[in-house]
Amino acid sequence: MPVSVDINRLKLTNEEGTQGVLLGFRCRDCGGHVFGPATYCQGCTSVELEPVELSKQGTLYSYTVVRVPSPGWPGPVPYVLGQVELPEGPQVLAELIDCPETALRIGMAVELALQPVKAGEGDTERAVYKWRPAQDSP
Amino acid sequence: MTQFRPGREVMVAGVGLHPFGRFPSKDLAALALEAVVAALKDAEVRWKDIPVAYFGHVYYHGMSVGETALGKLGLTGIPIINVENACSSGSTAFWQAYWGVASGVFDLALAFGAEKVPRGPVTVTAEDSPERYIGGDHMMAGYALRMRRYMEDTGAPASALAQVSVKARQNGALNPYAHRKETHTLEQVLGSRLISDPLTLFQCCPTSEGAAAAVLCAADSMDRYGVAKERAVRVTAAVLRSGSYNGRGSDHSAFSPYRTEPAALEAYEMSGLGPEDVDLVQVHDAATIGELQQLESLHLVPFGQAWQATVEGRTALSGDIPTNTDGGLLAMGHPFGATGIRMIHETVTQLRQEAGPRRQVGNPKVGLAQCSGAGDVTTVHILTK
Repeated sequence: MPVSVDINRLKLTNEEGTQGVLLGFRCRDCGGHVFGPATYCQGCTSVELEPVELSKQGTLYSYTVVRVPSPGWPGPVPYVLGQVELPEGPQVLAELIDCPETALRIGMAVELALQPVKAGEGDTERAVYKWRPAQDSP
Repeated sequence: MTQFRPGREVMVAGVGLHPFGRFPSKDLAALALEAVVAALKDAEVRWKDIPVAYFGHVYYHGMSVGETALGKLGLTGIPIINVENACSSGSTAFWQAYWGVASGVFDLALAFGAEKVPRGPVTVTAEDSPERYIGGDHMMAGYALRMRRYMEDTGAPASALAQVSVKARQNGALNPYAHRKETHTLEQVLGSRLISDPLTLFQCCPTSEGAAAAVLCAADSMDRYGVAKERAVRVTAAVLRSGSYNGRGSDHSAFSPYRTEPAALEAYEMSGLGPEDVDLVQVHDAATIGELQQLESLHLVPFGQAWQATVEGRTALSGDIPTNTDGGLLAMGHPFGATGIRMIHETVTQLRQEAGPRRQVGNPKVGLAQCSGAGDVTTVHILTK
């Protein structure tokens, strides 16, 4: 059974680790959102933060095809890295899967997808959040 | 914004550089020491008069490497501070040295930096970070994301970005300290290996080894320590900032390509100068897109127009905004801890009119140096003659 790649950013919602939701905080004072862990609001430093589940869909702000990956990258080479803007504001970097390079374009709708990843034999299987082209455009 | 109270006037009394490149037979301390001794000689200051030293470096080469390096000059008991602030480690050491003198605590200060960067892609997070699985921690991929978006927003063609690299190599070819001294054409830049689309290899700075040093002195104390006054250069602004939240994020450079802007505004206010006064500029061109966005953040060209300024030759040695006159990161290479002080070295060299007949940009009075670092760091220094 895979574990979340980062429990502060991704909550798994089924036992198989194929469904999940991105986590963040909403500031009750300034209304801003952050993706991932926060102690005070990153925008206004307010302590009035409430945990929220973030949208599962976003738009592609930018993308690149990484042909020389960082050391330790366990995935395919090359891979598409997507910079995705959520409706709440925060941007989330993750691999963009199931999309031919020729179909990539800034502004396209994408949705959250989880995939199990192992860095090698003996490594714990981790559910990693990724993006893929939206199946049903919102 | 910070309220500036007048402190002591601070001068760069001397600068020194170890060539940038690959030096497998020298350790970090040996590289650093060569630059320090060169800076002391240039300033005509004695080591025993230096009361404090700040050492910028990032990669681990044992503990207290600053102390190890400087110990070879004599154990004088002074405070030595090892500084890590990513690619801005060197410029942060310089910033600390500046404020050490400006505040009145020290008459003199040494800032130095050195690095032996491993080959291959540079990452920001630790080896056991979840980023290894997510794939977002890749310095040049971050620049590539910015570049793709910039091209979409401004209509900049790939050739305009490649021209940044062609220009850098032309400048580097005139600089004996540069890691890369060969020039290349637009076609060679665009045709070099793709690292992270649309960034090609020749649009990414080499990872390098090297060292740089600067000796700072209070203007009112130059006589006392025998500083060569006629060659001293005034520091009129020293600004260091970390990221602000822009609603999208701030933990990755792709989220905040213009984070230098507030630092620039602060530096202009501190110096009483504006972008129109700047005669030459060094900016953080770890990738070609970096130079364009930094020039815009510094208000040296309007947002979205630095690519046109580059194509028109305005950023070349003969242009009105000569940029990265020593070759920048793209030709000099990028030993993290040394880079920020290397920019100070070039600015001082140009303001002294000592860059040589082919690289000297006239008779400049005001030079600006901007250095970025991961984790969202930026420094802006303004020097005047």
